[in-house]
Amino acid sequence: MPVPPQTKQVSDVVWEIPTSYKEGMNVPARIYATKKLLEGMDQGVIEQVTNVASLPGIVKYSYAMADAHWGYGFPIGGVAAFDPEKGVISPGGIGFDVNCGMRLIRTNLRFQDVKPKVKELVDLLFKLVPAGVGVKGSVRINQSQFEEVMRHGVKWCAENGYGWADDASMVEEGGFIKGANPSKVSAQASSRGISQMGTLGSGNHYLEIQVVDPARYFDPKMGKHFGLIHDDQVVIMVHCGSRGFGHQIGSDYLRIFDGAMKRYGIAVRDRELACAPFSSKEGEDYYGAMACAANMAFANRQVIVHRIRDAFQTVFHRESEALDMHIIYDVCHNIAKVEEHDVDGVRRKLVVHRKGATRSFGPGERDVPALYRDVGQPVIIGGSMETGSYLLLGTEKAMNETFGSTAHGSGRTMSRTAAKRQVNGQELQKSMEKRGIYVKAATYDGLAEEAGMAYKDISEVVETMDLAGISRKVAALRPIGNIKG
Amino acid sequence: MTAARFRFLPDIALADIAFAASADSLGELFESCAAALTTTMVDRRTLRAKLTKEVEMKAEDSDGLLYDFLTQLIIMKDVDSLLFKRFTIEVSKDGKSLRCKMTGEPIDRESQALRNDVKAVTMHMFGINRGRSGSWDATVVLDI
Repeated sequence: MPVPPQTKQVSDVVWEIPTSYKEGMNVPARIYATKKLLEGMDQGVIEQVTNVASLPGIVKYSYAMADAHWGYGFPIGGVAAFDPEKGVISPGGIGFDVNCGMRLIRTNLRFQDVKPKVKELVDLLFKLVPAGVGVKGSVRINQSQFEEVMRHGVKWCAENGYGWADDASMVEEGGFIKGANPSKVSAQASSRGISQMGTLGSGNHYLEIQVVDPARYFDPKMGKHFGLIHDDQVVIMVHCGSRGFGHQIGSDYLRIFDGAMKRYGIAVRDRELACAPFSSKEGEDYYGAMACAANMAFANRQVIVHRIRDAFQTVFHRESEALDMHIIYDVCHNIAKVEEHDVDGVRRKLVVHRKGATRSFGPGERDVPALYRDVGQPVIIGGSMETGSYLLLGTEKAMNETFGSTAHGSGRTMSRTAAKRQVNGQELQKSMEKRGIYVKAATYDGLAEEAGMAYKDISEVVETMDLAGISRKVAALRPIGNIKG
Repeated sequence: MTAARFRFLPDIALADIAFAASADSLGELFESCAAALTTTMVDRRTLRAKLTKEVEMKAEDSDGLLYDFLTQLIIMKDVDSLLFKRFTIEVSKDGKSLRCKMTGEPIDRESQALRNDVKAVTMHMFGINRGRSGSWDATVVLDI
């Protein structure tokens, strides 16, 4: 991508596009990237990050993280904070899959304990966690119970036999976002979501058995804070969101906002940037509905974790408690939340949008679980099924620079069609097995589409954020078993 | 119902699936879009015409009608576990209402070659255009 000539280099990994770049920009845009990553980004990132800078009430900067790529309206890897009185809320700044996120749970098992059982585990998990087109989960609830899920997320799960009492405390926002209002959710959205709890979906969503990579265990002292005692300890990562429920809420409100913008005199450069004043009726309604979707996503990942514990109990003939299968953490990477941040020395309430970006709160923050408050929150970054993922740590610098945010993953560089043309799903499965990764997918096409070669180099993204100081490396996690939707 | 006319556009949205459809009438355009959406989710040749459903819809304009109609097919996939092989669609002259008769069957992982789980219709590049020769064209990007 040609970098606009007005771009200023702020540091080795921070670039600023001034408001003079485009008419209507209210704040400058900032991109976190090495020169190589910046030049490799698609043109859409510059257009979109500067479009976002033009939205009403945006505060400080419109950000793009090192994994930024073109998205609908906002870039994926985008962060933007808005004033709650003068600013907007935009479904395009959150993503269709509300509260798509990552959850990491640990075990006290080591690589050699799990290696001979990986196939058995993956085959059982494939049965217990439905994936693919139109699948339904095993949780049977009625509408009023589903509304409780919308309000209370993980808390509902723990109270209804789908988890442990302390699970919610190890999830961002304590397992549910306040302000959920089920009356603002359409009947269609409810009907799509009610049977989808505990399902993985498809696309880039996965459930992965991973092992801490001994050669890339960067900060074992910090890892111990998160319960990673051994340098080859086995963990499980879950990547999924609010399924059809969140998507339907996104679709419903995109249509509502499309009409509402005319009434509020807001003009945007792209229909996917549809937004409404946060304090307007439409803005409040959407926030209430979006929080329902976010809480359903927390609950969805919770039911999946419950099934994972079942699977490990069955295969290892030990209680999941004895296997120490605690949640390390759960992060949202498609969300808008009301948070307090310091802006030019003043504490302000802001509506922080993170789309394909992860909260990265540093030490001492009230919203970090008590267990981690002295060190900062765990940040979970998902990579492709072939290249692995990362556990990072939130920092004070992120609080000062990016509203406590960092990147979320690697990002595609190749279309699904192109990946399918170049990769044969069955051959990929065999080749991965030879490399010690046993993968099971709902379809071979789906598997081919998610090949590692279709994604950016995640290590470079993680290094960049580490260099920028907005998240710190703790451990690289190597896949050994994977389920794909 | 005529043969569906659509092609996939691989370079529009890397993580998702886009298609362009064209037809000689609005009804046929809607049929082509429905076929393209279904083809994204399943190899339609593996679907059987076991049951028939009828849908009537209204919207403020033809763009809104297409968006709502495709969204309805996604909802029927998730809620009723139904996929459809054939569509016969009549769209009113003003483009604001439609009547659709479709045949298909419930999702069956054994007999059907399932593909991507489509989750939403996006507004990116979305819209219906009238071509110079009087044909109708639509571009649709699906969120996967």
